[in-house]
Amino acid sequence: MSTTTALFIVGFVGLVTYAMRAGLILTLADRTLPPTLTRGLRNVAPAVLAALTVSLVADPDQANRGVSFAELAGIVVACAVAWRTRNLIATLVAGMLTFWLILAM
Amino acid sequence: MTTSSEKLKEARRAAVKDSLPIFLPAIPFGFIVGVAIVESVMPSGVGFLTSPLIFAGAAQLALVTLVGTASAAAAVTTAVVINARHVMYSAAMAPAFKGQPRWFRWFGPAFLIDQVFALSIPHADDDPAIFRRYYMTCASVFSIGWIFLTSLGMVFGAVIPEAWQLGYAPAVMFAGLVVMGLDRRPAVVSAVVGASVCFVAIGLPNRSGLLVGAICGVAAGMLVRESADEKSESVTA
Repeated sequence: MSTTTALFIVGFVGLVTYAMRAGLILTLADRTLPPTLTRGLRNVAPAVLAALTVSLVADPDQANRGVSFAELAGIVVACAVAWRTRNLIATLVAGMLTFWLILAM
Repeated sequence: MTTSSEKLKEARRAAVKDSLPIFLPAIPFGFIVGVAIVESVMPSGVGFLTSPLIFAGAAQLALVTLVGTASAAAAVTTAVVINARHVMYSAAMAPAFKGQPRWFRWFGPAFLIDQVFALSIPHADDDPAIFRRYYMTCASVFSIGWIFLTSLGMVFGAVIPEAWQLGYAPAVMFAGLVVMGLDRRPAVVSAVVGASVCFVAIGLPNRSGLLVGAICGVAAGMLVRESADEKSESVTA
């Protein structure tokens, strides 16, 4: 692949990504949004981050599209620890240990 | 009213402290992306530019990998679809950019990655100067760290053994972030529906399952909120 083509591809994706990140901030920041929309926007974080978690585990590129038991168990334990402790390091440690233990069994 | 420098310093300290645990799972991922850049059909120098110019690990990985196997158009489409969730972040962040200086409105969104979004959205109602300091500190940690990590991956290769399965760590971290953010019933419904729909839709072309799940999650949360409001109104009436 030529450097020019590659530069064009990377520059294009970079530009589109920036536009997607900046677009609504630049257009909506000064407006007063209808209450329904403001309420809906509060659900963006839980909805997108939860979907992102699933997309990270259930990798569509893998031959097996499902989620292994070890992966599922790690996530469940991590959620429980996060709920109880509100501590991200504890969550990471618990989730990874569960995952590794089940893999090793 | 000017914000005291002590409060700004406090915001910066908090941002660094909050960023570190979230940065940890990005370390193995940075190496993976660095290795993929070197192995890509794309010239490595240009591949490196994906870190500062695109600054989104999953999209970078898909782009540099797919340009070799699929058509350039397919690679670009997939990278853009993977990043499309940022439109939703942008909408959710807009209220926090009210009353912010022009430079921050234009420059800040360049760093609106998953981690920076998840970290700063709970601070959206803070004083504008405090929010700005918090956001830009997270942005600095992740952008400098990410460029450094992908460079390390390019130079040293896959030094982290694949058998350690550290690629699983980001999923654990995001799961924890989701749970810690569940403060209202609509948020719970949004998370559950978002995750479930994404799981069912995971096989959709161009990795659009994530986006479909996210949109369904937001919509489901809105429905719950409205019916819950109706209920509380009828109770008080």
